[in-house]
Amino acid sequence: MTIFLFFALALSWFGLVFEPQLQLGNAQPATNVVNTAELYPQRRPGLAKQGLEVYRSLGCASCHSQQIGQTGRTYDVALTDAGTNRAEVVRALLRVMPEATAVELEKLVAGPMPLKVLKDVTRAVADSAVEKLEPTGAKAVVKVIPTGPDIAHGWGKRRSVAEDFLFDQPVMLGSQRIGPDLADVGSRLPVAEWHLLHLYNPKIVEKKSVMPPYRFLFEKRKTGREPSPDALRFTGEYAPERDCEIVPTDQAKALVAYLLSLRADTVIFETPVTVAVPASTNAPAVSTNAPVAGATNAPPK
Amino acid sequence: MNSDPNPSNPPQEIDPTAGSARAPVWLFVLVALLAFWGMGFLDNHGGGFDPLVYKPYKSRKELEEDQPRSGNDAFRKGQKVFDAYCFLCHQATGKGLPNQYPPLAGSDWVQAKDPGRLIRLVLDGIQGTITVNGQQFNSAMPPWKENLTDEDIASVLTYIRGNQEWGNSASQVTPDQVKAIRAKMAGRSTAWSPDELLKVNENE
Repeated sequence: MTIFLFFALALSWFGLVFEPQLQLGNAQPATNVVNTAELYPQRRPGLAKQGLEVYRSLGCASCHSQQIGQTGRTYDVALTDAGTNRAEVVRALLRVMPEATAVELEKLVAGPMPLKVLKDVTRAVADSAVEKLEPTGAKAVVKVIPTGPDIAHGWGKRRSVAEDFLFDQPVMLGSQRIGPDLADVGSRLPVAEWHLLHLYNPKIVEKKSVMPPYRFLFEKRKTGREPSPDALRFTGEYAPERDCEIVPTDQAKALVAYLLSLRADTVIFETPVTVAVPASTNAPAVSTNAPVAGATNAPPK
Repeated sequence: MNSDPNPSNPPQEIDPTAGSARAPVWLFVLVALLAFWGMGFLDNHGGGFDPLVYKPYKSRKELEEDQPRSGNDAFRKGQKVFDAYCFLCHQATGKGLPNQYPPLAGSDWVQAKDPGRLIRLVLDGIQGTITVNGQQFNSAMPPWKENLTDEDIASVLTYIRGNQEWGNSASQVTPDQVKAIRAKMAGRSTAWSPDELLKVNENE
């Protein structure tokens, strides 16, 4: 009996502890696909590292997860360059898109590039379309698009993988999703001021938010001769009294630096995804008080 | 068990003992079915135990297919040509068949600095005793100039010359190189013999 018990436990220890340790225990930053000169992931800057402690102490992980799931993937085919032989391209396109007419296609091919040729197809269909298009001198690309409920929410462009958490200690994975997932919040909401207002009172930026306000991360004080450059800029009903200003404490700044450093938008080997522009690296923005000109504060729908 | 000191007073009740009962057959069947299902599940969802393969990918190969493609398109195309025309004799491993078809992997003919002889060999075929890596082979390779375009030949030669899985690392071949030699050898209608080929200057 004891021996069976021993084997049952030993086997699961091998499967759940030992084997993952063998596979990932020595993981090194490596496989940035888009920008091969740069390794992924990079260590978080100091302020963001302090922010992780604030995040941990405030219990943010009990309402926010940091893991994006992916259930499938789909492919688009786009024509990026129609080449010079338009007639031949249209003929090839007719074979790829049998439901379109030649007249329509001629107009499309003369129009702006890239031109979406196929949407939501399998890899095999996409590859065969490219094979039909390329001999005509046109250039076509296959786009890889991850799918899944989390990605449909706009929480991230790709799934989270072990590599993303390489330098975090502890890893704030979280399991509850009372609030949105934060694995990619730094690229989804890149404006520090938005985060500060949101922490001060979530209802300022998000009317329906159920997040509690974290006012104790801010200091309310009399405005001096000049208003503090760090002071929050309010509009409307949430503004404090006339001669007062709301200034973020170091804790708030660190927390925001950490939130901005949460980016899962680097394309790595494990998670192929076609990005429109080469994604900027995971180097997080450290500035906490300069709002980006013209940036929108609205969270993605 | 009878430790009663008084033999005239034997124990009335015997201790219960455990017998053995046959385990039902359906239990074994159920366990076997569960194990079978479990194996299938692991096979479909385990990603081949590869630490880099995550859902929804099922294998490293699927993952590699989705990587952004750039640069060596000729190599990929060459693999297709090879799989269609060459692998029957030279095998997918590039090792050929002992005493019948010469290897391409590690071959001094394939990895020559300039591909001149190799292009001629593929265009018009070869017949006769050829020495590859010190071993002699005596069979014929058909001419491919009717069936394969310049681009096909260039890409398949790029594939066999640069295939690192085979341990080869020679330079690429361009369609222009093939075109030039095809034009030069347009009048030829017989297969090459190895000795004849060796007389051709490699870089011509």
